[in-house]
Amino acid sequence: MTRKVCISGGATTPFDYPLHATPESMIANCIVETQEDIPNFTLRDLEFMVYSHFSVHFGKQLCPEWIVHDHLGLVGLPHFRVENGGNTGGSALYAAFLAVKSGLFDVVGVAGWETMDNVTQSQGSEFIALASDTRYEALAGGIYPIYYAAMAYKFMKEHGLTEEDFALAGMKNRTYACDNPKAQWARNENKKITVDDVMNSRLISYPLKKYDCCLMSRGGSFALVTSEEWAKENADGKYVTIDGAGLSSCTIRAGDRLAFPGWTEMYGEGYPDMTEFGACRKSGEDAYDMAGIEYDRAAKEIDVAEIHDAFSSSETQIYKALHWCDKDNIKDFVRNKRTFMEGDLPVNPGGGLMGFGHPVGATGIMSAIECYYQLTDMIPDKHHSSDTYVRDAETGLVNSHAGTGTSISNFILRRP
Amino acid sequence: MTKDDRKHYIPDKVEYGEKHPDKFRGDVEEDGFHFCGYDYDSEEEQFKVYLHYDQLYYWKYAELSKMGKGLLDGEIWGTKCPECGDKFFPPRVNCWNLDCNLEKTEWIKLKPEGYVHTYTIAGWSGRSSLKRLPFVLAYVVVDGCKTAVANELRGIDPWNAEFEMPVKVVWADKEDRRGTITDFHFEPADDWEPSGMNPEKERMKELCEPVYEWVKSMK
Ligand SMILES: [Zn+2]
Repeated sequence: MTRKVCISGGATTPFDYPLHATPESMIANCIVETQEDIPNFTLRDLEFMVYSHFSVHFGKQLCPEWIVHDHLGLVGLPHFRVENGGNTGGSALYAAFLAVKSGLFDVVGVAGWETMDNVTQSQGSEFIALASDTRYEALAGGIYPIYYAAMAYKFMKEHGLTEEDFALAGMKNRTYACDNPKAQWARNENKKITVDDVMNSRLISYPLKKYDCCLMSRGGSFALVTSEEWAKENADGKYVTIDGAGLSSCTIRAGDRLAFPGWTEMYGEGYPDMTEFGACRKSGEDAYDMAGIEYDRAAKEIDVAEIHDAFSSSETQIYKALHWCDKDNIKDFVRNKRTFMEGDLPVNPGGGLMGFGHPVGATGIMSAIECYYQLTDMIPDKHHSSDTYVRDAETGLVNSHAGTGTSISNFILRRP
Repeated sequence: MTKDDRKHYIPDKVEYGEKHPDKFRGDVEEDGFHFCGYDYDSEEEQFKVYLHYDQLYYWKYAELSKMGKGLLDGEIWGTKCPECGDKFFPPRVNCWNLDCNLEKTEWIKLKPEGYVHTYTIAGWSGRSSLKRLPFVLAYVVVDGCKTAVANELRGIDPWNAEFEMPVKVVWADKEDRRGTITDFHFEPADDWEPSGMNPEKERMKELCEPVYEWVKSMK
């Protein structure tokens, strides 16, 4: 199919905990900011809305997308909500991509939010753990940082990595967030941190410390997904093409991936075990295939990426799952700071989940919008400075990630 | 950024003045589905309502009931595919092998022993688990299963846990069992001895100290 799908605008609210804004006003704000960048875009252009919202527990409201939809005045327009854990935003984007790619619609809105500041952080951790297998794992006291830590510890051991290697991502993303006025870290602590700061922060679950973990947030985000024709006519100079899209799945319980027949068939015995994100590798390969990127050249072809860094360890594990490095050179890849601004593949210049924040339903869309800003040269307007602007980037990668790697999407965005 | 009147004002900071006593913070009681507290900031006109989230519901084990009954009786029941022989704990009620075409699995009583596949020392958890910190959550392969199950590893200083260490199932007192995974935990196998301290274990121990102190300070 030759029809191309584009991101032709979008915006994000500040992410914070607490942030005093309703879901409908957060999305309204994002649409208004999109119109400031894309003046031709009006609410009358919208043909279909995909809502991205993870947990009705946080809002005590079933179908909260119905509130947002009629608040925007869109009565009569088709809509549905996507819920897919931490990958809710990426999955909603995937749904919008399919809707435009199919030829059914030319202009689709993707709106996401989460209101996690309605509960305390320890209650919030339990709410989110309701997305693990509650019968076994949550009941035993497990929450996501604990599951991730168990996976990360084995990964660390098997790849000769150290706590400090993971800490580099925690330091990097929080530091870059200081350049982003909407980032939760900038709105609160707003300080550049060191690897030592990460190492000295409190234990969450070994090997993860507080600064290895993302921020629980409230926030919203909006993306405008359109046909290339609409983009050329209405968003010239401010659109990117979605050249590759992949969505894949893995087991809900990480303990079930030691010998899963489906993975064995695809990638051989012992893969992905509990150390790898098989769904990231598969969806990444699907996105690379669609975009015509050879796997072993991926690190060279991608100029900037927004990665789902729920934990510093998962960002590091994703480097490998996306074929940027392998078991033998991952240490060098990390220690040479290839994913820093001064490296050849900057990751999360927008701050990521550890710096910008993680209001689940908004997160994947936020990542896509940050990448869109990079490829349309809008970063200097959107961030405090050009320190986190990756100049002349042609190709970007957006990653969204759920469960213990249970659902993962990847997108390749390109400057047209 | 340009100013636009349609944008909503987002205050930078809100201090709540009026606080309503919140009886659900603390012991959760069964008190229906209604508002249970609020905070109000008159300066920024921000209102926050606390809702009772611990709604009561139950799991129906249905096809997994044999596992639940087994836990009450101090037995570990998993399942096995009669076609390919794959063994599962936690039980899967159909085989995962596509070639087995949803073959219904058979119940099989498992030996109450296994080994640690991976683990972590938790220093933070959900509200209902804070007082147990720090604890070891281990993924254990029970009796030759193809899968690992997560549960607490006790009877050991957290920093002494190891990959591949052999463990046994230890049951809660009969009157405390509820047919759930928490009816048992893992402990090191009888003949297992931890290796001595090393820098990594020292680091883990050091990270645990403030957690012990913090838990002691909890009401
Ligand atoms: Zn079978």
